[in-house]
Amino acid sequence: MTATILHNLDLLIFLTLLLLGYIAGSLSERRHYRSIETREQELVRLAVVTAEGRFDPEKVKDAFLVNGSVVISTDYFKRLLAILRNIFGGRVKAYESLVDRARREAILRMKEQARAGGAQMVVNLRLETATIGRSANRKKRIGSVEAMAYGTAVVIERQ
Amino acid sequence: MKFTPRLPRENVNVSTTHPMVELLWLTGGLALIALICYLLLGLLVDWAAEHFPVRAETWLGTKAAEQFPGQPSPALQQRLDLLLDRVPVDSPLHEYSFRVSLQETPEVNAFALPGGRIVVFSGLLDQLESENELTMVLAHELGHYAHRDHLRRLGRGFGVTAAAMLLLGTDSVVTDFISQAFLTFEAGYSRTQEIAADGHGLKLLVARYGHAGGAVDLFRRMKDRSQTGIAALFASHPHPDDRIAALESVILNHGYPVREPEALADENWGD
Amino acid sequence: MILTNVSSVPGKKIVEHFGIVQGSTVRAKHLGRDLMAGLKNLVGGELKGYTELLQDARSEAMQRMSAQAEQMGANAVVNIRFATSSVAQGAAELFAYGTAVRVE
Repeated sequence: MTATILHNLDLLIFLTLLLLGYIAGSLSERRHYRSIETREQELVRLAVVTAEGRFDPEKVKDAFLVNGSVVISTDYFKRLLAILRNIFGGRVKAYESLVDRARREAILRMKEQARAGGAQMVVNLRLETATIGRSANRKKRIGSVEAMAYGTAVVIERQ
Repeated sequence: MKFTPRLPRENVNVSTTHPMVELLWLTGGLALIALICYLLLGLLVDWAAEHFPVRAETWLGTKAAEQFPGQPSPALQQRLDLLLDRVPVDSPLHEYSFRVSLQETPEVNAFALPGGRIVVFSGLLDQLESENELTMVLAHELGHYAHRDHLRRLGRGFGVTAAAMLLLGTDSVVTDFISQAFLTFEAGYSRTQEIAADGHGLKLLVARYGHAGGAVDLFRRMKDRSQTGIAALFASHPHPDDRIAALESVILNHGYPVREPEALADENWGD
Repeated sequence: MILTNVSSVPGKKIVEHFGIVQGSTVRAKHLGRDLMAGLKNLVGGELKGYTELLQDARSEAMQRMSAQAEQMGANAVVNIRFATSSVAQGAAELFAYGTAVRVE
């Protein structure tokens, strides 16, 4: 029995990591989504648009650049799903939530920065995504993604 | 222009499929592809086995033989040579130079290595009761050579191992596991292969002794007794009922006489 | 759903805006396509398989963005931007975002 376990140690570690990745990964994802949703509700009144917008120079008190960024990694289980998906092609469902979470988190952080500066809106929002960790270790195919959101926060004079 | 703060009701950017369902689909698809490849490999190997030269096989055999530390057995070799004298002149078996060796194991088994080396386990010799049974065992193994079953089985094992190495790398545990599972010599022949080898063996047995006595005795005894040693033989040589039935129908159809088998000479099998 | 990449809908007046909407999809190509693309790489030229795949994925991203806008009660998305990124080896993410508005 012990000999079998020792002989298949690699396989055992793999399965343990898979299970661990699945449980921990889905727990943390659910927690993150809950936090994103509550914060989105809180910040919903702060307007964000992709347009430049035209402002009356007398009404604008201040304008400054804001940005928010986050790097999120996927779990072991979903990484396996993505690798398998690479064989068949098609929609990589395992990574959809990864980029979705990253982007929403980045926008939220940008909005928080804008609110801290007293802004009422963010104009000309741009979103960028970058992958890191891949070139450093190609074989491991680390599924991590950086999302960055930036825009111009506008503080409007109150009458 | 007024601003109405609103959020989308649901998240359209993330699919709702459960990850476990996705895993099942993907692994299922992968298994299907693997199965198709395996079946194709079987066809390829069947074709290759017919055309594989005996000399190349002998070279392979010397490599494989290193894994089986059997000792040469003059007593068994003598019986095999007597049997080979009865093989028809046009048989492909004459291209081989056969050697029998004995391996001291309680396991009840005998098998054909590539290159004409037959290995008999001492556990099998302990189960035998007559000369004719022993001749039948050797003739059966010769049947595998005549049909080149040993190559088919090995070829598939090599193919699967090579594929696993290509896909997963040579030092992967999964590769080890797969090659162990497929390259192991205890892996069974198919039912048709066994019955064909039995038929070949029976012809040789009749040619050697002039009757078919002792052809099915060993199978009968193995069927009746279910001991641990015999269970092992069932694992690699399954379907004793089918094989008995097939042998008996051949004996009946050809009208082979069945006489009392010769008693087994009490010999020292080893060196 | 009206989609534009300027800050207004030409000929129409924006009466209300709802904030940003986004649509994204992550796609992988299958091994067969990889193989064909590898061969095509030798001689150069358009990789039809990949063009199709990316175009398909991009239109899905737009559909998802439109779906979000619809849920917010908008009838147009203005100032749309596209982005592409590779999340992992062999998987590309197609992404579209814009501002959901109601026009008259």
